[in-house]
Amino acid sequence: MADETKDTQQQTPASPASAPVAAPATSGAPAATEGQPRPAEHREHRPGGHGPGGHGGGGPREGRGDGRGDGRGPREGGREGGKRGRRGFFRKKKVCRFCVDRVDFIDYKKPEQLTTFIQERGKIVPRRITGTCARHQRWLAEAIKRARNIALMPFGGAR
Amino acid sequence: MEERLYDLIFICRPATPEEEIDKLITTLETTAGERGGKIEKKEKWGARRMAYRVHRHREGYYVLMVLRSTQGDLVHELERRLKVNDAVIKYMTVRLDEDMKRQKRLAQRREKRASRRPRAARPHGHAGGEQAAAAQQKE
Repeated sequence: MADETKDTQQQTPASPASAPVAAPATSGAPAATEGQPRPAEHREHRPGGHGPGGHGGGGPREGRGDGRGDGRGPREGGREGGKRGRRGFFRKKKVCRFCVDRVDFIDYKKPEQLTTFIQERGKIVPRRITGTCARHQRWLAEAIKRARNIALMPFGGAR
Repeated sequence: MEERLYDLIFICRPATPEEEIDKLITTLETTAGERGGKIEKKEKWGARRMAYRVHRHREGYYVLMVLRSTQGDLVHELERRLKVNDAVIKYMTVRLDEDMKRQKRLAQRREKRASRRPRAARPHGHAGGEQAAAAQQKE
């Protein structure tokens, strides 16, 4: 049941609307455990604080900006309601794009589909940022590596 | 040995005349035919920009061939031919039948699941959850 509500929220990325929904549901938890939210809060700030730096370094590439943008919107929303502990923070789970499209095979011969998953310097974007599931990330990595081998994708920065 | 599927992909120098590439393709095809392989598909992608420089070339003429063969040696022979050819600057062979098998299996499984439960009764993974959520919205 909880999963379903999550899913509906993902489909409609209107974070202000979804924020009050989750708030009452999780508000009970921190009251019971006063000490716990603290470390969770610290942890929240770190990725958020680190993000802008990394983002600036990465440059305004669409592909990466996409992945980050997806991740950071809800994170900021989570920080506002972050006092309510972890659940408020993780409320908006990123969803695997390949699962949504029901992809069974990732073709290395279509680099234009893969470019969204590499960084500016050619690195494969980790799945904690893109939200890709483990299985698809595995296939994706395989496809990117094959594409690199035949010069369809860069190993390092695009020269 | 069971039958296997390969992607044979190679890059020629952009300055190579078209006839020469065609000649190379036909020789590869006949070699494959002699040894019990079959070229299922030939695709000339034409000159396109490579992601990095290869032998000082920024562009390359891509050719893709899909090979079905029971003979593993055939791949070696074809690769040797590509290596010997001066026009070819890069080549790669990828075995694909296992990926294709997996793809088929997954598609079948999904079909089965869909037929068993036309309207997802309970959430199952991402897709199931989505369907359930959609059903809820309808209500």
